[in-house]
Amino acid sequence: MTDEEIFTVVRRNLMEVVPELEDADIRLEHSMRELGANSIDRMDVVIASQEDLGITVPSSQLASVDDIASLLEVFGRHV
Amino acid sequence: MKPVGIEAVNAYCGETCIDVPALFAARDLDDARMDNLMMARKSVALHCEDAVSFAVNAAQPIVDSLTEDQLAGVELLIVGTESGIDFGKSLATYVHHHLGLPRSCRLFEIKQACYSGTAAMQMAAAVVAASPREGTRALVISSDVARPVPHTYVEPSQGAGAVAVLIGDAPVVAEFDHGANGFHSYEVMDTCRPTPEAEAGDVDLSLLTYIDCLQGAFGDYADKVDGADLLDTFDLLAMHTPFPGMVKGAHRTVLRRTKRLDPASIDADFDRRLAPSVRYPGQVGNIYAGTVFLALASALDNAPIDRETRVGIFSYGSGCSSEFYSAVVSPASQRAVRAMGIQEALDARYRLPVEEYDELLSATAELAFGTRDHTMDLDRFPHILRERFASARPRLVLEAVRDYHREYTWLEAGR
Repeated sequence: MTDEEIFTVVRRNLMEVVPELEDADIRLEHSMRELGANSIDRMDVVIASQEDLGITVPSSQLASVDDIASLLEVFGRHV
Repeated sequence: MKPVGIEAVNAYCGETCIDVPALFAARDLDDARMDNLMMARKSVALHCEDAVSFAVNAAQPIVDSLTEDQLAGVELLIVGTESGIDFGKSLATYVHHHLGLPRSCRLFEIKQACYSGTAAMQMAAAVVAASPREGTRALVISSDVARPVPHTYVEPSQGAGAVAVLIGDAPVVAEFDHGANGFHSYEVMDTCRPTPEAEAGDVDLSLLTYIDCLQGAFGDYADKVDGADLLDTFDLLAMHTPFPGMVKGAHRTVLRRTKRLDPASIDADFDRRLAPSVRYPGQVGNIYAGTVFLALASALDNAPIDRETRVGIFSYGSGCSSEFYSAVVSPASQRAVRAMGIQEALDARYRLPVEEYDELLSATAELAFGTRDHTMDLDRFPHILRERFASARPRLVLEAVRDYHREYTWLEAGR
């Protein structure tokens, strides 16, 4: 799976929990917090994306993730 | 096997509180994040209150209700806390003394973040179950007093409160399902208290770990209990509630993941089975060790209970250890909880204006961990300490520290 495909999954889940977001608003350097996702929303995105990608990432690996690029990087190690 | 469970429960959530919207406004926090908390108010400890005085004030009405013989049967006192006051001497020693418990009693303090109350309760239940004597009882108190960290998003949920539960073989309030306990524990650095004043950690990791543990602990429960189902087995749920929004989020995620429920059905299920349990926590904030019992008491007070009802209980403590277990409650349980007047006490708290709240935090900070000698100014905040305590039942407060020994006094009418 390519980075772009992983990004598509994350973007789709993010837009589901923060409906005000447009596709083009979401860029790699953004943190989900900057995009208006609260802590519960962020948890939703992280869990739903793992399900869609068919992966299970140990929570501790997600601890230092602060922007979308690093989230994709962690997911990329597991697909 | 004799029945074992909770014979009595009471909560003490302090004399003062602050409105969460007022705190958000004063700290210039983003209002959008307030809905996420689902909190109206939080309890605040007075400068002369600590985890000892909170514990005693929670348990005193239960102890008062016991006959002399019943009191003599209390052979275990455990206090669960992450607000310790000494590395060696447990705060259970002070609690034991001020409650007037018998000397023929084990006592100790226990720590595992917010799981400590459940750890204590399960040890107590095991002692009662194993006792060859009828009427063996254990008193378990979960007591924590936050040191709020101003200008952070955790500040609005950092509360103060203690919950006392009497465990015995006449469990009017809740009878535990024997052997129905699922566990899930592993090392993770989600949140911690590295110093007496600081709370450190990663909120996102804590949420993910909580969900992980809810699924893991329930999975272990379901392995042990034939046919257990998260949706059908429990009429009510009560979960560790750092803030109600977290419980709502965890419930939503787990049901979507494991049951493929649509959002409307998930909301309806939350309203029916979980909303009664978050009513008290939404007025008190996170009280750490006691939060899961506060949620249970809230469910018992606020849910319609017209027959025997099974409650699923989930306890989580950062670091981490967790447990899913269950108990049966009845209309008599509801009557017993309501008789303690917990909601009435919450309604009667003094609402602190923000300036006074800040003044109180400064006053509290004057007594640092490890102080050898200190005299508490009990004439400070007279409109709270003098006026309110004059009309309420007596309350224990910290009066002084002399050569490290903590000295407490009962404030009551006329004093």
